[in-house]
Amino acid sequence: MYASRNIRLCNKDCVCLFVCPTGATDTETGQIDRLTCVDGCRVCVDACPSHAIHLVVEHYPEPAPKPPSLAEAMMALCERKSEQERTALVIADAAPTAGTARIARALARSARILAEDCAREAGYMIPQCDATRELMGRIASDHDADIRTIAEQLAGGTALTR
Amino acid sequence: MPHTAALAAVFSNLSKAADKQQLFETAERFARLSALFPGTRPADSTLESLRAEVARDVDRDYPALQAAGTEAADRGVLRAVKWGEKVSTAQRALIDRYTAKGDDLLNDKKLFVCEACGFIFLGDDPPEICPVCKAPSARFSTVK
Ligand code: SF4
Ligand code: SF4
Repeated sequence: MYASRNIRLCNKDCVCLFVCPTGATDTETGQIDRLTCVDGCRVCVDACPSHAIHLVVEHYPEPAPKPPSLAEAMMALCERKSEQERTALVIADAAPTAGTARIARALARSARILAEDCAREAGYMIPQCDATRELMGRIASDHDADIRTIAEQLAGGTALTR
Repeated sequence: MPHTAALAAVFSNLSKAADKQQLFETAERFARLSALFPGTRPADSTLESLRAEVARDVDRDYPALQAAGTEAADRGVLRAVKWGEKVSTAQRALIDRYTAKGDDLLNDKKLFVCEACGFIFLGDDPPEICPVCKAPSARFSTVK
């Protein structure tokens, strides 16, 4: 495990710089140097007054398996919510009043968040899992160059490895 | 294998997951993939037809999933179903209120969406705590 700083929470230039035994926290990039960070040390995590540092797990366990029918039912709902998002976007584009457009955009955003939640519970929880890796393989073989390039970058790097 | 219709959400969810792990390059790539699967837009869409779809989920899909999740003792599914059912019920109520009152419903009020669960709130400021998922007000985005 190595330490990672959330720059959106960090107040800059304080205690993690002094407590780190290796200087891994003191970089020009705002990120902690994972190569010099001592595995599992966590001194900076406990010292940070802004709760801006956490330890990153390098090896994620595979998500608990679900009965296939349950995962499929969650994916079916993900599809319905995705279609509702698009319905709402069409309503927003053709809306007779600014109010209708705003309501429709709120419904579209809400539907996307629900669809994402269903996707998570259908098995696509994190990048580092079998379901995601398998999906990337299929996307890379089924689609045009733009999509294939990104899918191959994702599948080829360490991004999806547990 | 999810149908193409769902891929935008599958990938935007993976982008969020990567972002939480601070894997920013991976997050960016999943976000780009998500944008490359916009899906097909339905031809005629009205608030009425959208209401019917949302109502179908509330009346049929969520209860069925609740039963299936209980049988499999799957806490993740049960949590998602509980939030989703509440958020969808609130969506339906919002459509009904807007259909009855039109733009008078909005007046000078703003629309906020909880980025954690999708709950839509109409008011001057976001609620201190999301009534569905208990996320703090900072998790609400404002609908432009
Ligand atoms: S976990 Fe320890 S070694 Fe790693 S950055 Fe923090 S203080 Fe330094
Ligand atoms: S201790 Fe926390 S807030 Fe201070 S510089 Fe380090 S990460 Fe930022």
